[in-house]
Amino acid sequence: MIAADTFERTIRCKKSLFAIFSGTVFLLVMSAALPARAADTTLSGSAACLALQAKYPVLKGKTLVDALNPHTPGYEALDPNDPSHYIGFDVDLAEALGECLGFKLAYKPVAFAALLPTLQSGQADLVISDIYATHERAKAADFVTYSKVFDGVLVVKDNPKHITGINTTLCGDTAAENTGFVEVPLVQNLAPECKTAGKPEPSLQLYDNNADCIQAILAGRADTYINDVNTVDQAVKAYPDKLSKAVAVTLPYSIGIAIAKTKPELRDAIMAALIEVQKAGVETALLKKWALDAGSLEEPQILKQ
Amino acid sequence: MSLFLHYLTLPYLLTGIGFTLEVTALGLAGGLVIGVLLAGMQLGRVPALAAVARGYAVIFRGTPLILQLVFAYDALPHIGLTLSAAAAAGLALTANEAPFIAEILRSGVIGVEAGQILAGQALGMTPFVLMRRVVAPQAIRAIVPALGNEAVTALKNSSLASVIAVPELTLRSTQLASSTFDFFSIFFASGLMYLMLTGAVSVLQLLIEATLDLDRGKKRAWFGWRVPGRQARVAPAVAAPLPTRGADRPAAAMAPAVPKPHQKAIHRSGRDEGEVVVDVRNLHKRYGDQIVLDHVDLNVRSGEIVALLGRSGSGKSTLLRCICHLEEGDAGIVRVGGRRLGHGEDGRKLTPREIARERANLGVGIVFQHFNLFAHLTAQQNIAGPLQWVHGLSAADADDRALSLLRRVGLEHRADALPRHLSGGQQQRIAIARALAPNPNVLLLDEPTSALDPELVEEVLDVIRQLAEQGGLTMLISTHQLRFARDVADRIVFLAEGVVKEEGPAHEVLAHPRHPLTARFLRVMGAEQLADIPR
Repeated sequence: MIAADTFERTIRCKKSLFAIFSGTVFLLVMSAALPARAADTTLSGSAACLALQAKYPVLKGKTLVDALNPHTPGYEALDPNDPSHYIGFDVDLAEALGECLGFKLAYKPVAFAALLPTLQSGQADLVISDIYATHERAKAADFVTYSKVFDGVLVVKDNPKHITGINTTLCGDTAAENTGFVEVPLVQNLAPECKTAGKPEPSLQLYDNNADCIQAILAGRADTYINDVNTVDQAVKAYPDKLSKAVAVTLPYSIGIAIAKTKPELRDAIMAALIEVQKAGVETALLKKWALDAGSLEEPQILKQ
Repeated sequence: MSLFLHYLTLPYLLTGIGFTLEVTALGLAGGLVIGVLLAGMQLGRVPALAAVARGYAVIFRGTPLILQLVFAYDALPHIGLTLSAAAAAGLALTANEAPFIAEILRSGVIGVEAGQILAGQALGMTPFVLMRRVVAPQAIRAIVPALGNEAVTALKNSSLASVIAVPELTLRSTQLASSTFDFFSIFFASGLMYLMLTGAVSVLQLLIEATLDLDRGKKRAWFGWRVPGRQARVAPAVAAPLPTRGADRPAAAMAPAVPKPHQKAIHRSGRDEGEVVVDVRNLHKRYGDQIVLDHVDLNVRSGEIVALLGRSGSGKSTLLRCICHLEEGDAGIVRVGGRRLGHGEDGRKLTPREIARERANLGVGIVFQHFNLFAHLTAQQNIAGPLQWVHGLSAADADDRALSLLRRVGLEHRADALPRHLSGGQQQRIAIARALAPNPNVLLLDEPTSALDPELVEEVLDVIRQLAEQGGLTMLISTHQLRFARDVADRIVFLAEGVVKEEGPAHEVLAHPRHPLTARFLRVMGAEQLADIPR
């Protein structure tokens, strides 16, 4: 048991080392390719960003409202040392985009299921909150994607139910999920498969945030919680004696920045800025800073319907 | 434990309390304003407004607060109304609290005895004065516990504002728990904070209850309610005069009470020459299928004392109430002092406010079977209050007059007693003093001793006898006390089945009833009462 744990940690450690290594290489390559940047390393001073600021002057000096569901340490959560502000990869990414385009950010914490409605009602300008850009969601908002999705399967310590992913090993088990998560329909869709296999279908418990889902497993109410692998890792780190990560799975989604359909100009500006942020190696550096898998970096794309 | 203490004193959570209180205060204050409006609409006389208020209650009491919050926050911007998160939460809580508070207010108002409202109307109070001086002070006392309850509920409900990004205590707690994983320390800390807040509301409620407690002692704080009877009392030698109405009314028939033997009938003469002050013509009244007054005619002359006899249900009370327009006949005309109460010169029906003013001017007092004293006022305040609020006397004059009237009914020593601390007989004596206070031309007494224990009857009858002896006051008394009727009445009117069956000089009707129903009534009511009536 200890051996397995150590093994896993070693693997993760190796992954992080790899991330640091690849990030560094990437930065080196980028700086070599763009020698002009050596003079001014800040995004706001880069020629590309200055050009964008000139192209989208309405954004400069403005304060945009970023709706987030701050229950995902690593992506967005309160700073435990100073709860008056939010920290995480998404927050840093938002600030980088703001730096490039010249806007400031205010954060609005809402429930996960309320992220897109908040955007639609005009109470927020954008959503950068570890939200997966699905075609369903693209009906409510346009997305600019920035990362691949890797999910982890959080289970009770040592996986007594032998769950190996969103498959028939979940039959008869209870999964805790957040309302509005893409994993919800995936688990629901297992029902016919379980039936064919002569097993009871999996049941779902819907909560409002990661904390409640994790508590559901700790309290013995749920068997698993499937979410972004980093979130799962953080939970295991917080409760190493009670929780395990069964496995990581890849989902066919990208993580995206949501922008109201009524603001195509803002969407295009974000898209352009994201390209620059990635080019400057900032996203990679942030993945490293927040100990996220550098392999999840993805070229930006616009998803709209 | 140290983590718990850390979170209990964490400024981030403590400042969240500010938002919790802000949303709660907005919701309660707004809910109170809208609640008063809704309660008023439902209690008012306009059916359409009542229906609107009811419809509002159905919608906002019948849908979850969380939906109303999301609506105020996410839907209103679509019609161009973008409120801050805290304002949207305050609005939703206001909309949600209003129907609950309205029902609390309504129950408080309905809970005030109908008899007291009748008495207030009879004393000439306008609806506003009645609400402010009689209904509201009692209703407010009654609803404090329920309002305290509602305040605690609103405080806890404010936690739902976390779904629309109000950075209040619950939202901050859950976010902090997500980032630190210290679930239980954080939730115990915020739970304790909520307990302290709700505990403070409970303490406040108890303090208000104690302050409003009528039995708290003489130095009560009334939250600004100006109530007569609080001034330093100087017993006046002479009662403060009121403007007299009738030419034949002495300004002050306020001689100190003198115990008067009543073995002898008080027979006065010359009543027939007085002008007619009460003129009832062809009065008809029915409740549903039951005819209560069947085309009644009745004249009472100035200074005359008329006893209305008849079995319970014969229409006596209804007749008296129609005379002072607390009830209105279906047909027929009632004139008092030549004026038709409740109707303008052109025959138009008056508003309740105009009727109140007319009652006060016309001078018709009524004493009820069940006293109907204002339960929240002392004996002296019961008398002085209406003088001040209706007749515009200064507080000092009203108090002086109240005191002299209390002396007259032998209850000066109970001036500061609340009605509930007085016997029925004492209450009725005060009710008589209250009715006499504005110097009425006509005093109606509706079975003034029927609700009393037998041993208390005489003290009340004594007071009325004294009034009769002093003369000058026109009185119409419905009673079952035959001996008393014989002693004080000039004339007896016998009612049965809503019809005047017989009337005539008191001793004649009592001794020689002509109508068989009168005879039977007198027999049933106890011939022994009349054993000494000369035949």
